[in-house]
Amino acid sequence: MEKAAAENDDSGSVSLLVIVLDTNPSQRIVRQNPDNLSQCLDATVAFGNAHLMQKAQNKLAVISCHHHATDFLYPMPVKQLEVRQVDGQYEVFSLVEKTVKQRLSHIITNAPKITQPNESLLAGSMSMALCYVARMQRNAQPGVKIHSRILVLTGSNECASQYMTYMNVFFTAQKLGIVIDVCALDKSLSLLQQGCDITGGQYLRLTQLDGLLQYLLWVFLPDPKTRQMLVLPPPTKVDYRAACFCHREMIDIGYVCSVCLSIFCKFSPICTTCHTVFKVPGPLPPKPKKKKKV
Amino acid sequence: MTDYKASSSSSKHGSVSSSMPSSLLVAKPANLQCKDFQEYLRTRSPDTLEKLYNYPTICLAVYRELPEIARQFVIRILFVEQPVPQAVVASWGSQYYAKEQASSTNILTELNVWRTTTIPGGLSAWELCPTFKKNLKIALLGGGKPWSMSHTLEKDSKPRDIAFLDQYAMSRWRCVLHYMVGTGGANKGQGSEVISPDAVRILLHANLMKRDETGITITRQGFQFLLLDTQSQVWHFMLMYLDTCEERGLSLPECLSMLFQLSFSTLGRDYSSEGMNPKMLAFLQHLREFGLVFQRKRKEGRFYPTRLALNVTNKAATVPAVVLEDEKSQESGYIVVETNYRVYAYTDSPLQVAVLGLFTELLYRFPNLVVGVLTRDSVRQALRGGITADQIISYLEQYSHPNMKLTESAIKSKSPLPPTVVDQIKLWELERNRFTYTEGVVYNQFLSQADFITLRDYAQSINVLVWQNERTRTMVVTKNGHDDVKRFWKKFSKNAS
Repeated sequence: MEKAAAENDDSGSVSLLVIVLDTNPSQRIVRQNPDNLSQCLDATVAFGNAHLMQKAQNKLAVISCHHHATDFLYPMPVKQLEVRQVDGQYEVFSLVEKTVKQRLSHIITNAPKITQPNESLLAGSMSMALCYVARMQRNAQPGVKIHSRILVLTGSNECASQYMTYMNVFFTAQKLGIVIDVCALDKSLSLLQQGCDITGGQYLRLTQLDGLLQYLLWVFLPDPKTRQMLVLPPPTKVDYRAACFCHREMIDIGYVCSVCLSIFCKFSPICTTCHTVFKVPGPLPPKPKKKKKV
Repeated sequence: MTDYKASSSSSKHGSVSSSMPSSLLVAKPANLQCKDFQEYLRTRSPDTLEKLYNYPTICLAVYRELPEIARQFVIRILFVEQPVPQAVVASWGSQYYAKEQASSTNILTELNVWRTTTIPGGLSAWELCPTFKKNLKIALLGGGKPWSMSHTLEKDSKPRDIAFLDQYAMSRWRCVLHYMVGTGGANKGQGSEVISPDAVRILLHANLMKRDETGITITRQGFQFLLLDTQSQVWHFMLMYLDTCEERGLSLPECLSMLFQLSFSTLGRDYSSEGMNPKMLAFLQHLREFGLVFQRKRKEGRFYPTRLALNVTNKAATVPAVVLEDEKSQESGYIVVETNYRVYAYTDSPLQVAVLGLFTELLYRFPNLVVGVLTRDSVRQALRGGITADQIISYLEQYSHPNMKLTESAIKSKSPLPPTVVDQIKLWELERNRFTYTEGVVYNQFLSQADFITLRDYAQSINVLVWQNERTRTMVVTKNGHDDVKRFWKKFSKNAS
């Protein structure tokens, strides 16, 4: 009886995966070798299709994060492509592959030229992913539970300038029960690592791109419920430093506004967030003399 | 003098015989055996499986049927060229779930998805069946030949929309169901269609209907079949069809692959039947008859799969889980169940009324509404007919009115039905299960109390006593123990005399 109930629980649920793929040409791995991007793309498409292959109900969305904009690669916002089979690939998988490639080439050709490296709008893309998840959840049939997760694939450095957006995304995701997974392809990303830790996701940093698909399939394909049944890389210690609001740098010790909890690395007399006026601290008052000597 | 009578049966109260090995004496009514795809595959021979794995569609369908852990294992070794040591694979799973892992490993072996080999160094390793590996890769990444129905077509001048296809499919399928309950035959001549002899043969083969002196009537299994959800009905029916397909000269792998191609197709899109061999075209015509595909004319090279064919093995996937603004669900429930056991069904279909009448007492009938009440008698009558409580509950759940699913209790408990009603139906079923049946032999008419006690104690000592009563000097031993007790008694009475 119990087993039957568990199976029912399973059948009424849908697993939604939103992949946020960093396609910014200023990423170091892309600048070194532009082929790396297409390698990432192939791995992402194969991984997305592997997710769709798990169960007929599974859903997929792919979002491209560029230096100037964020856009959906799959599904198409309005009307889907008409794709017919050309080989033995399952129609739905061909559709994903074709749509993603077509949309991405469209984005890349239409992107404004850049002269110096630009940062990726990762936090914005993740917010967009959250919006998509929220929309899917709102449109779900009564009785259907949607288990959603977001996978971020990026080779960018993280920028503390997006600190506030990141934190908003992480805590919203935590509240909605959405798991955030991160696969770092270049530098280690401490902010995103915090996000994984907060939402119960997996963080993985790869030092080389070889075998990317195999890593993705190993660590990120199982949904959070299945992950308990498998042996996955153990969580590493998370760097929980915050970025200051004034210079967007990671700091260990800083000043915190007593009203709005904004963090500053240097003292400022007026809080830039909530405009509270603080008393200027004079030189530290001399230690009260030990008057009471008995 | 003692006389023993071999009685063919003795039924005992559960409390007495609970410790006894109970063999089923009264043959339980044969219930409907509904296999899922995995169970179906397990009963096939390895050769057949190997042949089936030649089709990417079947590999994909098989993959989706695997348990969660097995799917992860397969995908992780899918891109590994050499065999993977078994110890390595075992280390992938958490030890807390060793049982699930063992069962997954077994299933993969049974389905011939992977097999044991040895690698240099003498370690035993797992290797995916090459055919399966190749074709699953094709399904996932592309390559190979296109599926048989994907020839390019000119644009249909009158494309059919999803609403039309749904309506068409259900009307075709209902024809089969109507035929089963006989309502189709009752108003023959009024435009109601009769089903083909082929379909009747499948119903007979599946034991859903039987031929007797009055003609063809529905069986107990047939009624249980009616209570299944449409998706399970179609799947069960197709399995029965596949059982007989070899007799018709159709090849099983071809049919199965065709069925799954349909199951993986897109609703509302047209496909081409060009390049299919005549046998597959015949199969297509059968599918057309049952409403799995829509085809305007027999000869037309274009067909539309319907919702019945989609995800044929997986009922959860047929209902769109997420309804986007431009889609609307078609089939909606019509049954409202209240906590006072009243059942309101907004329907005018004689079939639905007939099915409802199997387990409810119908009170009123209006043009678009039937009111009934679930009573102990009506439910027990259904239970006597071999329908189980779970079947009744799942039927009511499946067709419950959308508004039922929005009530507070439904959201909390997943079931849209009032819990009291669900529990009561289950209790009514349990009521019937107070007896366990044990086959045995009665010993009675002992001449002296001493004889009785000796024999009873002997029977008890070898653990074959089912029941005894000292006052009437009657005892029952199990059938297996009868020979022993008889021998003992002969020896005992010889010594005594």
